[in-house]
Amino acid sequence: MKTKKILSVLLAAAMMSAMFTGCGGGDSAQTGTNADADADANANSGTQTGDSGNKEASGSGEIKEFTAFFAVPGSEINDDNEIQQMIAEKIGAKVKETWLTGQSAQEAVGTLIAGGEYPDFIDGGDGMAQLYDAGALVALDDYIDKYPNIKEFLTEEEWDRLRQDDGHIYWIQQFGNIYGEEKATTHNDEAFWIQTRVLEWAGYPEVHTMDQYFDLIESYNEANPAMEDGTTNIPYTILCDDWRYFCLENAPQFLDGYPNDGSCIVDPETLTIIDYNTTPTAKRYFQKLNEEFQKGIVDPESFTQTYDEYIAKLSTGRVLGMIDQWWDFAYTVNDSLKQQGLDVKGCNYVPLPITIDEGIKNQWHNSGGTLNVASGIAITTSCKDVEGAMQFINDLLDQEVHDLRFWGVKDVDYNVEESGEFSRTEDMRMQSSDTAYKASHACTYSYFPQYTGTSRDGVNAMKPENQPAEFYDSLSKNVQECFAAYGAETYVDMLGTSEAPGPWYPMYSYSNNMTTATEGGMAWTKMGEIKHEYLPKVVMASDFEGAWEEYMEVYNGCNPQAFVDEMQAELDRRMAEAAKYN
Amino acid sequence: MASQEKKKNITWKEIKKQKVLIIWSLVLVIYGVIFYYLPLAGWAMAFQDYKPKNGLFHSAFVGMDKFKQLFSDASFIRVIRNTLGMGVINLIVTFVMAILFAILLNEVKSNGGKKTVQTISYLPHFLSWIIVTGILHDALSSTGIINELLLKFHILDQPLNFFAHPKFFWPIVAFANVWKETGWNAIIYLSAITAIDPSLYEAANMDGAGRWARIRYVTLPGIKPTIMILLLMNVGNVLNAGFEIQYLLGNGLVQSVSQTIDIYVLKWGISQNDFSIGTAAGIFKSFVSIVLIVIANQIAKKNGEERLF
Repeated sequence: MKTKKILSVLLAAAMMSAMFTGCGGGDSAQTGTNADADADANANSGTQTGDSGNKEASGSGEIKEFTAFFAVPGSEINDDNEIQQMIAEKIGAKVKETWLTGQSAQEAVGTLIAGGEYPDFIDGGDGMAQLYDAGALVALDDYIDKYPNIKEFLTEEEWDRLRQDDGHIYWIQQFGNIYGEEKATTHNDEAFWIQTRVLEWAGYPEVHTMDQYFDLIESYNEANPAMEDGTTNIPYTILCDDWRYFCLENAPQFLDGYPNDGSCIVDPETLTIIDYNTTPTAKRYFQKLNEEFQKGIVDPESFTQTYDEYIAKLSTGRVLGMIDQWWDFAYTVNDSLKQQGLDVKGCNYVPLPITIDEGIKNQWHNSGGTLNVASGIAITTSCKDVEGAMQFINDLLDQEVHDLRFWGVKDVDYNVEESGEFSRTEDMRMQSSDTAYKASHACTYSYFPQYTGTSRDGVNAMKPENQPAEFYDSLSKNVQECFAAYGAETYVDMLGTSEAPGPWYPMYSYSNNMTTATEGGMAWTKMGEIKHEYLPKVVMASDFEGAWEEYMEVYNGCNPQAFVDEMQAELDRRMAEAAKYN
Repeated sequence: MASQEKKKNITWKEIKKQKVLIIWSLVLVIYGVIFYYLPLAGWAMAFQDYKPKNGLFHSAFVGMDKFKQLFSDASFIRVIRNTLGMGVINLIVTFVMAILFAILLNEVKSNGGKKTVQTISYLPHFLSWIIVTGILHDALSSTGIINELLLKFHILDQPLNFFAHPKFFWPIVAFANVWKETGWNAIIYLSAITAIDPSLYEAANMDGAGRWARIRYVTLPGIKPTIMILLLMNVGNVLNAGFEIQYLLGNGLVQSVSQTIDIYVLKWGISQNDFSIGTAAGIFKSFVSIVLIVIANQIAKKNGEERLF
C-alpha cells in the first residue's frame, strides 16, 4: 500500500511538471539575436547580377516563389488560384501572401523581430518603424532607378518623403496613387454612415449635424423597431476593438471641419498643432453619445464587442448607423448584404456630411492621393533575391497585369465594349462578391503597389469601382435612388470634397510610428491607454459631467503636451522640407 | 548509517558498472543546460538598453534603470495586483473544487455513473482557451443564455453586459478556470483516494463511522500528502495567473483589472519593441515565484508535512 501512495504522489508531481514546462518557455523566446542580419543584407544584394530590365525568369519557364506578410487582416486565397497562376506564367513569379490574425500589427511584427527571420516582402503596418529599427529591411534606393514602372510610381518629391533618417528608402507606399485623371467614386475613408432605408423613410432630409443625425435614427427606430424578418434594429453601434477604436475617438477633428490628420488637428492658418481630445467639440460629441446611450440608442455592447462580432452585426443589416472607415467594413459587409439580398431592402450604407454645427465646411473627404509615408511594402534581409522581388513589383504595375489583378479575366469577369470600355453584367458582379469565387479565382495582390485613376488606355478606370458607368450600375437600386435624391452621383458627392490641406498632410503618418523611446511617444502610448478605458466610461456614465472631469484629470496627468510638442516639431520639419520644392 | 558511508566512496569500478546509466543521465543534463539554462543568458537584456539591431553584445549597458522604470510605472503595479489577485483566487477556487469534486465522485457507488461523470467533467480541459472564451462571450452576451435566464426569472429587467463591469471580471475568470480544470485536477485526487487501504474504511465502519466521519477521518488524511505537494507546486505558480483568458476576454473598459504580468510583457516587450522592459518584468515574475515556493516549502517543513525539497 505504501508503494501505491508514493506512486500517486509521483504521478501528481509528473503531471504538474508537465504543466510547468509548458509555462516556462515564454521568457526565453525573446533571446534570439539577429546581430548577423546586417551582414547578410549586404551579401544578398550582390547575389544576382545581370540585366534586370528583362524578364529573365519567364524565359527559363521557371516560376519564382516569394513569401509576403501583411500586418493587416486579410483573406488568404487558394493555393491554386487561377489569376495568380496566370500572372505567374506571364511574369515568372508569384507570392504567397499571409495576413494578420488575432494580433495587433505591433505584436505580429515584434514576434518576427524576436525570431529574426522574415518573409521576402513585408508591410508592417503600424509596426513599420520597429522593422526599420531592427535593421530588417533592405534599402531600395539603388534598385529603384533600374525598374521603370517603380520609378514612375512616385514623384521625386514623394520618394524623398519616404526617406528615413539615415537617408535611405526602405518601403514603397502602395496606396493613394492616382494615374492620370482622378475618378473618385467611393469615399474610402471615415464618415457617419447611415442605411438608405432610414433616409428613404424620412423622405431624404438634409442631415448636417449630430443632433439631426441622431434625431433621424431615433424617430426611424421608433416607427420601425424591427426588420422585415422580425430582427430588432440596433440604432447605432460603436466599434471599439483595440486599434480600431478610432470609430469612437477621432470624430471631433472632423466635426470641427478638419481633415483626417488622425492624431491631432493642424490649424492651417497658424500651422500649429491642436489636441482634438480636449476641444469643446470633443466634449459635446461625447456628451451627445452619452445622451444617446442613456436613451438606449447606442448599442450597449459597443465597447465589449470584438471586430468579428461587429462585422457579423453589420452583415445582418440590423445596424442603422455608425462611424467607421469604408475599408474597415464595406468590402466584407457589402458583399454579404448583396448575397443575402438585403441591399435591395435598403441596408446599404451611405455617408453623411456631418459637423458639430450648421455652416462648417466638412472635410471628411479629401481629393488627391494621400501618401501615408509611415508604411508600405518592403523587402527584408531574409530575401535571397532582391532583384527578382523588385522585378515582381515592377511587373505588377504593367497595365495588362494591373487589369488582371483588379478587373479579372476578359469575357469571364468583364466584357469589352466596342468603344474599348470595360463593363460587367449583373451575374459577373454577383460572382465577384462571392467569397468562395474570390478565393479560387481573383488575385489582386491587394497590398502591393497599385493605381487608382485612369488606365493607361485612357478610357477605363484602373479599378472597376472607379469606372463611373460600372460603379453606378453596380449600386443597388436603393443607393441609386438615394444618390438621385441628394443630387449626387457617387459616395464622394454625398460629402463634397476638398483639396488636401497642405504638404504636411497627413500627420498620422508620423504618430503611427512613434515609439516609447521618446517622451512624446510615451505620452502618446499612455494617451491611447487612457482613452481606451475612459472614453467608454464617459459614454456610459450616468453622471456625464463628473465622468468627463475625471477623464480630463487622468488625461492631463499623462503629459499630452509632450506629444503635441513632438508633433509640432514634425509639422515644422515637413513644412521646411516642402518649401524646398516651391 | 553504515550504508550511507559506503555510498560516499565512489570507486572506478562502480562508475564502470553504471556507465550506461551515467551516459543517459548526461544526455538529459545537456538537454537541460541547452534548453533551460542557456536561454537565461537573455536575461542580460534587462540590464541593457537592448536594440535588436545591435544584438546582445553591442547594446548599451544601463544597470538597474529598466527595473527602476518598471516600478515607477503605475500600470505595472496595477498589473502585479491583478496577477496576484486572480492567481490567488484561481488557486483557491480550483483547488477546493477539485478536492470536493473528487470526494463527491468517490462516494458515488454506481461504477458506470462514476466513469461517465468523470469523463464528461474533464473533457473541457482539452478545449483551448480561444474556444472557452468564445463560449463565455456568447453565453454572457446581452442575448446570451445567462441574460435570457435572468430576464425570464425576473431577476433583471434589462440585459446586463457582464464584460463592461470591472467587478465581474475576476469572478468570470475564476469561473472559467473552475469549469475548464476541475475535472482534470480531480483525477489526481481520485487516484490518491483509490490508493487508500480499503481495510481502513472497513475498520471505520465497524467503529460506527458514518459517511461524513469516513470522509473526515479516512479519505482526507489519506490524500493529505497529495494535497500538500500540489499546493506547494501551485503556490509557485500563482503568478502564472494566465495570459490567454485575460487577453481574449479583456477590453478597454476592464483593462485596469484584466491585464496580467504576461500581457504587460507582451505589450511592452513585443508590441512596443522594448525587449529590455519585457525581460525585466519576466525576471521579476520568476524571482517572486521562486521566493513564494521556498517560503511555502519552509512552512511545510516546519509543520512536518510533505515537501518538495
